[in-house]
Amino acid sequence: MFVLLQDVQKHSVHTLVFRSLKRTHDMFVSDHAKAVALDDQSYKMKMAVKMRAEYKPVLHMPVLKEGRERGPLHASDPYGQLGYPLPGALPHYLVTGTHPYPSAPGVALTAETQMQKMPFLNSGLLPRKAPTMPKPQWHPPWKLYRVISGHLGWVRSIAVEPGNQWFVTGSADRTIKIWDLASGKLKLSLTGHISTVRGVAVSTRSPYLFSCGEDKQVKCWDLEYNKVIRHYHGHLSAVYDLDLHPTIDVLVTCSRDATARVWDIRSKANVHTLSGHTNTVATVKCQSAEPQVVTGSHDTTIRLWDLVAGKTRATLTNHKKSVRALVLHPRQYTFASGSPDNIKQWKCPDGNFIQNLSGHNAIINTLAVNSDGVLVSGADNGTIHMWDWRTGYNFQRIHAAVQPGSLDSESGIFACVFDQSESRLITAEADKTIKVYKEDDTATEESHPVNWKPEILKRKRF
Amino acid sequence: MSLASFLPAPTQLSQDQLEAEERSRLQRSQSTALVSTRREPPPYGFRKSWVPRSLEDFGDGGAFPEIHVAQFPLEMGRKKRTSNALAVQVDAEGKIKYDAIARQGQNKDKVIFSKYTDMLPKEVLNEDDPELQKPDEEAVQELTEKTRSALEKQVSQKIAAAMPVRAADKLAPAQYIRYTPSQQGLAFNSGAKQRVIRMVEMQKDPMEPPRFKINKKIPRGPPSPPAPVMHSPSRKMTVKEQQEWKIPPCISNWKNAKGYTIPLDKRLAADGRGLQTVHINENFAKLAEALYIADRKAREAVEMRAQVEKKMAQKEKEKKEEKLRELAKMARDRRAGIKAHGGEDTEVRERDEIRHDRRKERQHDRNISRAAPDKRSKLQRDQDRDISELIALGQPNPRTSSEAQYDQRLFNQNKGMDSGFAGGEDEMYNVYDQPFRGGRDMAQNIYRPTKSADKDMYGDDLDTLIKALFVMFVYCFTVTSGAHNVTMSRPVLGLFLIGSSQVLTTALAGMGLCSLRRILLVWTSSWKKPNSTEAPKGHPLVGAPRTTTMRRNAGRSETRSLYTQNVYSERARVIFYIYKW
Repeated sequence: MFVLLQDVQKHSVHTLVFRSLKRTHDMFVSDHAKAVALDDQSYKMKMAVKMRAEYKPVLHMPVLKEGRERGPLHASDPYGQLGYPLPGALPHYLVTGTHPYPSAPGVALTAETQMQKMPFLNSGLLPRKAPTMPKPQWHPPWKLYRVISGHLGWVRSIAVEPGNQWFVTGSADRTIKIWDLASGKLKLSLTGHISTVRGVAVSTRSPYLFSCGEDKQVKCWDLEYNKVIRHYHGHLSAVYDLDLHPTIDVLVTCSRDATARVWDIRSKANVHTLSGHTNTVATVKCQSAEPQVVTGSHDTTIRLWDLVAGKTRATLTNHKKSVRALVLHPRQYTFASGSPDNIKQWKCPDGNFIQNLSGHNAIINTLAVNSDGVLVSGADNGTIHMWDWRTGYNFQRIHAAVQPGSLDSESGIFACVFDQSESRLITAEADKTIKVYKEDDTATEESHPVNWKPEILKRKRF
Repeated sequence: MSLASFLPAPTQLSQDQLEAEERSRLQRSQSTALVSTRREPPPYGFRKSWVPRSLEDFGDGGAFPEIHVAQFPLEMGRKKRTSNALAVQVDAEGKIKYDAIARQGQNKDKVIFSKYTDMLPKEVLNEDDPELQKPDEEAVQELTEKTRSALEKQVSQKIAAAMPVRAADKLAPAQYIRYTPSQQGLAFNSGAKQRVIRMVEMQKDPMEPPRFKINKKIPRGPPSPPAPVMHSPSRKMTVKEQQEWKIPPCISNWKNAKGYTIPLDKRLAADGRGLQTVHINENFAKLAEALYIADRKAREAVEMRAQVEKKMAQKEKEKKEEKLRELAKMARDRRAGIKAHGGEDTEVRERDEIRHDRRKERQHDRNISRAAPDKRSKLQRDQDRDISELIALGQPNPRTSSEAQYDQRLFNQNKGMDSGFAGGEDEMYNVYDQPFRGGRDMAQNIYRPTKSADKDMYGDDLDTLIKALFVMFVYCFTVTSGAHNVTMSRPVLGLFLIGSSQVLTTALAGMGLCSLRRILLVWTSSWKKPNSTEAPKGHPLVGAPRTTTMRRNAGRSETRSLYTQNVYSERARVIFYIYKW
């Protein structure tokens, strides 16, 4: 005994503890991840105790007759998920096709057809890949480059000539003025309207200028004589906008009388009256592909028109407030609409909703887009937002100062347009000026970085 | 062995359980049922309290006469129910097409969005995604052509309709129709078996007005059904938002019929004056500065000139005083019998002067007597008098001779001849109770001060000033008289009079002083040292504003009088009068 005691080597307590730890680890390392083995007896006891404690009042209730028939119902029973598979419960398949019959006449109920599952459920169960916003394209910021003052009233409309030599503005001072684009000098003033000129357009196919105004008049000016040569008479109220068809000689005007009218330019005949809107039609756009006419109205809808029949092709009711601006993308088969609640992008022939561009919380009066993918929205409070078309990223906000002598409340953008080279942005403003913006040449992606994170896109619906 | 196996089956089922059960039951029935069951009416004799309702209840037969309810076998006799409910439609996958209601009554190729997924944003696609590409040229061309032709047709129709006169329509060629009547026989069709009919369109008059009135307004057809609303209902407007949109009423600058209250700041803003800051040309400042400098210089110049003038005046005054003093000395010397070193000359000169005066007088008298000795009246004589003589004599102002003369006493009487003088009291003689031309005394018209003359000059406390002066005067008088009694050999007479002007006039008539009303102080004094030229001390009124010396050579006496201007104040007069004799 004494000898044995002597044999034991003396260790420090530290070493002993570590050894013990090691031994324990060695013993249990093999079944470390395993669940503790089930002890039948203890489990039974536990269940009994649990039943008595928690379910005693219902334990001896009379069993309903129909309850017996629900044998297979327990397959999806939440109580079966405890980790103890039901005895004899096989994986159960239901024929959950679109209908409880075989998918086609003559097809037998086989295992294969049995395996068919409901496609809707299936897709719902699969984890859908969360849509993320791609990195927006970088655009150089725009800066104010020239302020042209010359109108005596609000400047309500702009159009740039196809040759890019001059542009034309219509104003609340009842005049139409033609300005040199390069120098900003006034070239010509046209008088003839007796109220605000709300829309101007220059034809690409003829030396004609078209204008419409709140005096219900639509005029065709011959720019070789600078005289009115035609009147398109028929609107019952102020005419708010007009556009020319790019390939056919028709003119589409929209008015406060809740109609848009299609005019044959040569014969002045009112080809179609596009009625269906229930309020002022604020804006109209034409393109050569379907839909050939798109109108936006104060009744918060956008209508795509079938020009052949003169009927509505589709009605887009997604906006909550009046749609005052529309713009067609120069390259893509899409268009955008602006409303005080949102700017929305749509896919073309049918008007499928693409996305929202939210953040411009003002009455949006005008939209413009260039082929570079810069969308410009100008609002009634004088703010201009610049967006990346594809991703809807707002890369710049501009609020230009009003010209001296104006009230602060007189800052508002009524119309904006890119020139034909798309290097200048011309805006028509409520402070009676025309402002010209250009891209900042000195800016680089480093100096003006895109503030973007690859965050998960919030799926907003409106 | 699970807990669920011990428990009774749940009485309430969840939705998915219910659905699963439904499905399973359906499947079971499908799989097990071999023959479809048909509902049939219960056999005869078992129809108590059974009512046939549906079509199946009748089987193939008719109504049950023994059952006394309204029965509609084969739906006979039942009223047609007009319901606009839509039949359930299913799509290719067998799901119910709920958008059928949105499509109802719409054009078939019209695009209608009605699904929830139509509201969701799409995945962001690449720029060159085929979905986003515009249709190719050919498709566009085709569409353009189609549209153009359709529009042209429309336009031509419209233009034609708008034309007032158009060319007559071309008639269609005649049609020939072979006609075989059904009734054959000699009696019919004049015995012919067949006929050929030529059909010609009737000619229309192109100028014919429309036969039917088409100017009636045709009511519009029903509008197309509304498109499904694809947005959430708009939020209720908050109070803040409402207030943001509140536009205050327009109030005119000139009229405010409804009486709106205009805040002050708005009032000022509407005025437009505060809006632009007043910009003053800087030349105004320059001008003001130049004016200021010029003004200062001018003032300096004026001041300097005034100073120089003052100096000159002082010098002159000194010179005069010197002369006066000399004269006084001379007079004293003469009186004292002291001969000045040029005494004889002066006496001779004086005598010569007197002689000259006398000669002139005589000549004057002679001239007058020679001119018109008999016509010389008293009036004329009076006219010859100069003003000082007139004053001394107390003669009336002769200047009003050109006007008609009125008895002033008759003015300002409210009683006249009609009412009898003095209110009918003839006995009383009160018409001429005032002296004729009483107020026209020469002396009363001249030197009559205005009411507030001395107030303007001396301020309001003239009375107190006079009192103080008076006291001081008396004091000085006593002192000097006492002193002079001792030092001077000459008799000093102090005369202190307070009385009416009449007294004074009578007293001093010979001396040419008159119309002193209340106070007259005569103080005779002599200089301390007969030869000294310095001014006498202790004269309280030496520094009075203006002292004038008047020398009167009216012939009777030599008088040096020092009049002060305030002598003639209305209320009180102090005359400092040095009288020497």
